Amino acid sequence: MILDMHAHSIKSDDGRAKVENYCQWIKAKNISIDGFVLTEHRQFDNESDYSELGKANNITILKGSEVETEYGHVLVFGVTLALQDEFDFSNINLELEKVIEACNKHGAVAVPCHPGRPRVGMAAHLEEFGVPSGVEIVEVYNGGSRENEDEIAIQMAEELSCAGIGGSDAHIVSQIGKCGTKFDAPIETIDELVEALKSNSFTAIKLQQEQ
Amino acid sequence: MDHPIRVSSSERNHKKSDKDMAVEKISDVEFGEVLPAFTPDTSLENVKKFVSAAGWDSPRFTDHEAAKEQGLPAALVPGIMSQGFLSAMIHHWAPNAEIKMIDTVFRAPCLVDDQYNINGVVTDIDTEKGSVEIDLTVTNSANETRVFGTANILI
Amino acid sequence: MTGQDSIDVESLREEFLGQVFDEYVFSLDADQLAQYAQSCGETASKFTDPNDPDFQAPPTIASSFNPRKAYPDNFPSFQGLGMDAGKSVHLEKPMRAGEQITAKTSMHDIYTKSGRSGRMVFFVNRMTMVDSQGVVLGSSDTSVVIREKPQEE
Repeated sequence: MILDMHAHSIKSDDGRAKVENYCQWIKAKNISIDGFVLTEHRQFDNESDYSELGKANNITILKGSEVETEYGHVLVFGVTLALQDEFDFSNINLELEKVIEACNKHGAVAVPCHPGRPRVGMAAHLEEFGVPSGVEIVEVYNGGSRENEDEIAIQMAEELSCAGIGGSDAHIVSQIGKCGTKFDAPIETIDELVEALKSNSFTAIKLQQEQ
Repeated sequence: MDHPIRVSSSERNHKKSDKDMAVEKISDVEFGEVLPAFTPDTSLENVKKFVSAAGWDSPRFTDHEAAKEQGLPAALVPGIMSQGFLSAMIHHWAPNAEIKMIDTVFRAPCLVDDQYNINGVVTDIDTEKGSVEIDLTVTNSANETRVFGTANILI
Repeated sequence: MTGQDSIDVESLREEFLGQVFDEYVFSLDADQLAQYAQSCGETASKFTDPNDPDFQAPPTIASSFNPRKAYPDNFPSFQGLGMDAGKSVHLEKPMRAGEQITAKTSMHDIYTKSGRSGRMVFFVNRMTMVDSQGVVLGSSDTSVVIREKPQEE
């Protein structure tokens, strides 16, 4: 089972992709993913329900968030209303360890994303803030990475003994599925995704497509 | 450093797509079709002409040293000029197209005298409405995306 | 001058969003439109030749229109380098040289985020354009970002 763990729709301020168009693209272009997770910037989209769209297209569509901390951006999987009460998702000055603590309390998983990216990646802040506790997974493949950002992410993950996921960081339709995460078991719900992340049964993969 | 030869706007270096003919009607459009990319003229000379026409005559676009004094790496290609390049690409591909919406995010600056590619791909077709949606990107020589967005056109 | 740490985005949104803070009338010059189009790589004569019977402004011209004021009156000024973060244009009909256009601008959105160049605050203005008959020509959204530090490249 391959999921693109990091994608944005028009719900994100800089997202320009409609979810139905992601589905259409995946099917028409035979993109090698079984689903994707919408990780909107600084919010959780409580309103949208993509279950029917997913069923109609035989694509797993899940929802998460991308929040902002002193260590850079962090994906959150398993967002609940109770978790949203713990901290303000729109705050760009969150503390990573508090985000992790809140996630642990509510059965969610926090994954620093594009950790090799300047300023908004975790690796850039280790010298200043030290190694944060509680980080077990990081995003090692990001479809929007420049130069050696993924290499920096992989090296950091190895040094800190973190597992790695992959995601496209798609903001437009044609970017979906550039990177993904291969899971050992099928995943159809966010609970199953969280379970799989916690049991460390996954591998980050690159799925670059030439247009 | 050798400066590349600048071509005029009428002599663009078009990459050929699979299709030989320009798109004239909606039935000519294929889902996933890649628009012919082109390499725009980002020379200081052309940027100066553009900003003069646009009424955007600012040193950050027309003077490398002045731009650096503002903390920029070099003179910038205005974002609206990048958007204009994207629009031109659409018109090269479908001369009869009417652009109803074009929406661009300027993710990173484009620099004057640097080389970029203007790219597009069809991501939705509505034959009833005669509309086509296109993903747009401006990429640098390292294939990094500097501008991305979408356009909605009528054919 | 206000630093980004002291921005109260919610208060700014409550006070300024939605109000029209600028309105002016202008018309487009044919030679400037032609040069604009040529510089962008347009090759069709309807964009590049003022003598073409269907001569019209390139569709992205609306992105170049600036209100006379960048911000509403009493809007705080911010430290940092301001840059274009994005432009979107919606067009109802082509714009023509010599046409009298009335442009009204309002503040549409304000938010903060962090990126490769550090913390940023975004202001989105919306300009709507009508012709002399009051027919809507289109609208354009301009997103301006104030970065706490200049671009890293």
